[in-house]
Amino acid sequence: MAEQTQYTKKKECEVKALPMEEKKRLVREGKAHWFFPGHIIEQIVLCGFVVLILITLSTVWPAHLGEKADPFDTPDHIKPEWYFLAAYYSLRLAEYTDFMGAWAPKIMGIVAQQVAVTILILVPFLDRNVNERRPGKRPIAIALGILAALMAIVFTILGAVV
Amino acid sequence: MDIETLHLGPIKIKNKIAIRLFSALDDRLGVKEILDDEVFEKIVPAHLGFWSCFGGISFFLFISQVLTGMLLMVYYEPTIEEAHGTVAMIMNEVPFGWLIRGAHAWGSNLMLVTIMIHMVKIYVSGIYKPPRELNWVVGVTLFLLTLGLSFTGYLLPWTQLAYWATVVGTETPAALPYVGEYIRYAMRGGEEIGQVTLTRFFAIHVMLLPVITASVIGLHLIQIRRQGIAGPM
Repeated sequence: MAEQTQYTKKKECEVKALPMEEKKRLVREGKAHWFFPGHIIEQIVLCGFVVLILITLSTVWPAHLGEKADPFDTPDHIKPEWYFLAAYYSLRLAEYTDFMGAWAPKIMGIVAQQVAVTILILVPFLDRNVNERRPGKRPIAIALGILAALMAIVFTILGAVV
Repeated sequence: MDIETLHLGPIKIKNKIAIRLFSALDDRLGVKEILDDEVFEKIVPAHLGFWSCFGGISFFLFISQVLTGMLLMVYYEPTIEEAHGTVAMIMNEVPFGWLIRGAHAWGSNLMLVTIMIHMVKIYVSGIYKPPRELNWVVGVTLFLLTLGLSFTGYLLPWTQLAYWATVVGTETPAALPYVGEYIRYAMRGGEEIGQVTLTRFFAIHVMLLPVITASVIGLHLIQIRRQGIAGPM
């Protein structure tokens, strides 16, 4: 086990520089696979599977083409695509901040979105528990992660419903 | 190289012409070394499972988007008069046009899903921790770039839904103090959404963002190569 950790902690150039005998030993002991042909076939099969999914989806549910845009006809319900629903709902939610003043509802939503994205980018620097990777030993990080994911899901659903 | 048998990993080549051609290339470019390092004598960790493949699938979907996007550009016209009609033509008249557009539309949705799964996996198994902090930052950037690609691509068929979603989407940053109005004006290319907006979104969707995204994917992969694939927990 200690050796496996050693091998998998090596940089790419260090693995590359391993002598052929050592590579053969790692493969024999089940700690590594040859890239050729096993791994490369695996990757090609995986890509073929993705292509198959795309073809199936396009056949069963063909891409929709709605009616042509009419700048003089505002539709009743304007909904963004699913991946923007959470952001859309955060704007709707911000309308409740009008107790802070007339300026708040418009700005709070977009500020909240910026803060969320900034936190997401800074995750590795906010998590000061730098050595432990096992989820079971990182209760705070995992709890916060689940909370964030739940919030994104709930906001997406509410964005679709409201 | 003056040999009887050419060894490429498990492959043995005895054909004289093939060996001479390969030797000629090897003398000039040193291809044997590259092929051995990158393909035939390369090993990959054995611990990678199902949840480890979504980054690679996202990358493959990006390539698929570039290819289907190029094909769509053959018929698509980015004008407010013709955009909707040319997309309808792609769907109804162009051979397999429905499939290419279908794969492009589904591909964009699927790519966002696979990126999200990839991010959850990286988060749960703590792979963003040292020495890979910077690659998390690059990865989130790729996620945002993909959202930008989806946002700009959505307007291109010039449908009622896309038009009004873009009206709302470009209105949002206008609420920001000082810069808001300017951002909205820059996104729309004027006060209203019109031909300039479509031209702008088209240029951003087919040139600016794909080129930036491809470069940032390069940064993502270079970092993985330098640091190696994260080991088991």
